[in-house]
Amino acid sequence: MDIPAMRANFAKAGATGDEAPLYFYSHLFLSHPETRAMFPVSMAHQRDRLFAALGDVVARVDDLGSLVPILQQLGRDHRKFGTLAAHYPAVGASLLATLEHFDDEWTPELAKSWSEAYDVVASVMIQAAEDATEQPAWWEADVLAHDRRGIDVAVLQVRPRTRYDYLPGQSVSLETDVRPRLWRYYSPANAPRTDGLLEIHVKARDGGPVSSALVRRVGVGDVLRLGPPIGHLALRQDSDRDLLLVAGGMGLAPMKAIIDQVARAGPARRVDLYVGFRTEEQIYDRADLRRLTDENPWLTVTFAVSEDKISSLEQGEVGDVVLRHGPWLSREVCVAGPAAMVEDTVSRLRQHGVPDSRISSEVFAPSRPGPSVDGEVTE
Amino acid sequence: MTSGQNETETNERRPTPADLQSVRFTRATMMKPGYVDTEVDRVMNRMAEELGRLYAEKAALRDQVRALQAQVDGTVVPEPPSEQAVRILASAQLTADNYVAEAEEFSRQVTSEARAEYEQRVREARENAGGILQAAQEAAAKLAEGRPVAADPGTRNVQELEEQVAYLKAFGQACRVQLKAYLEALLSDVEAEWGHADPVALPPAAPRPPAQRSRRDEEPAPPSTTFESNTVADPPPADSTANGIAVRAGSASSS
Repeated sequence: MDIPAMRANFAKAGATGDEAPLYFYSHLFLSHPETRAMFPVSMAHQRDRLFAALGDVVARVDDLGSLVPILQQLGRDHRKFGTLAAHYPAVGASLLATLEHFDDEWTPELAKSWSEAYDVVASVMIQAAEDATEQPAWWEADVLAHDRRGIDVAVLQVRPRTRYDYLPGQSVSLETDVRPRLWRYYSPANAPRTDGLLEIHVKARDGGPVSSALVRRVGVGDVLRLGPPIGHLALRQDSDRDLLLVAGGMGLAPMKAIIDQVARAGPARRVDLYVGFRTEEQIYDRADLRRLTDENPWLTVTFAVSEDKISSLEQGEVGDVVLRHGPWLSREVCVAGPAAMVEDTVSRLRQHGVPDSRISSEVFAPSRPGPSVDGEVTE
Repeated sequence: MTSGQNETETNERRPTPADLQSVRFTRATMMKPGYVDTEVDRVMNRMAEELGRLYAEKAALRDQVRALQAQVDGTVVPEPPSEQAVRILASAQLTADNYVAEAEEFSRQVTSEARAEYEQRVREARENAGGILQAAQEAAAKLAEGRPVAADPGTRNVQELEEQVAYLKAFGQACRVQLKAYLEALLSDVEAEWGHADPVALPPAAPRPPAQRSRRDEEPAPPSTTFESNTVADPPPADSTANGIAVRAGSASSS
């Protein structure tokens, strides 16, 4: 395998911008029309992601130690798209045709190198997918309740038809028939329950096809498909330190799951939750949080508003409000919310003196359609 | 014709290689040497038909073999798509993507504008409501302590209440000023009386500084007029006490 030559060749295809992925998918769909149904109507984001993923693979192809876990995750994750082992050679053929098409100096040796490299990638992904077959590729889940809270937020209760295991703080990818082939990540707002119910908080993003549909079109009786859970916002098993939970907007969901976990499984610890919204009116889950504080004397909930001068709640960015109430030096801290809020809060807590090892955070970004190599999640 | 004959032939006995080998054509007459041409023609026709039928059967079988072979291989091995086809599909896909993107962008604009509008209205409504509530509470408090008999507040509008609040504030201010002036005057009287009774007890600088005097003499006047004008404009039930203070204060300052 001539890795430098492959990188040079890949760079030529990458330099064409959208052209190369466009050619690749058109080639794939013409030679294997049955694969078209596995993709959404609009391929724009798909094209970006394909070459980003390929770029990652090419960049790490000489570092199998870091590449293999990524490929295994990709292989497992592709099961929910309906990918079969038989699809991999088809993709490989179209990939080679694309790389050849955009390179004037294509050689049989290059073809051989790519072919070998692709076989390795495909076999790792296929193997990981096959190893995961004791799990379903996806889970169907019935929507049992759909509660609109304000103009753009809905709280859904869904129940998977078969057992679905996850950890509090993890995220679940889901798809609705109303927006086929578009998967988005949401974080359940409860710890796993014996009745299997998941509480899902959704905010309709302006122009977001899936979130808008989940808030405004999906209703009781509809069926969602769930992918396997991912994400790493989770409590350390070996710690029973008191908790500080900081949420911005819809970042509230995983925090509620963690509170639920403490309430169900312990260990007994103080939990202080700070939740920031722009205005008081946007606080969509106040009643249930009040119920939680009534039931659990170890829990306090403090709301902060950043753009609501009339409100009698704490004023300011939630990170600022948290620091006004410290000290938090002995706490284990979880932070979730929009990127700016997470960054701000984490850096304030760091300055405050909380060690990095005790801060876990997750950015909830709008409408990122899948996990990146680093396992980031969308709301 | 051939097809009809094929059907009939399937019922008849088909010609075999052995048949051909055993064919013996009758010798013709001396006048015309060779085989009887009608017999030869008939055999030739049968052979042609049989060959045609075999060719058709072979073609059908070949197709069948290909299909089965493809099933064995798993997939039909496709011809790589032509450059032209790839280009056409690519541009169709781009067109579709652009339409979807435009629709999403339009939806984003419309919803974000609607949201901004909604938030603006809610904010305004909350501010208005807050202002009205505050004014009403202040007015109610003033009314409750100053005017217990104030009847049917339901008919009063906000402006009336605000006028009442302004009046009550001015009333309170006037009372304070009058009361202060009265007390100062009283103090001065007490000192004067004390001085008459026991002049040595007075400090050596017996006359008060002029500033203090002038203040005592002049200041009560303007609030007093305000007060007077207010009582004229809208005599409150607390008139008697207020007037009592005013009268006494007036007499004290004049003395």
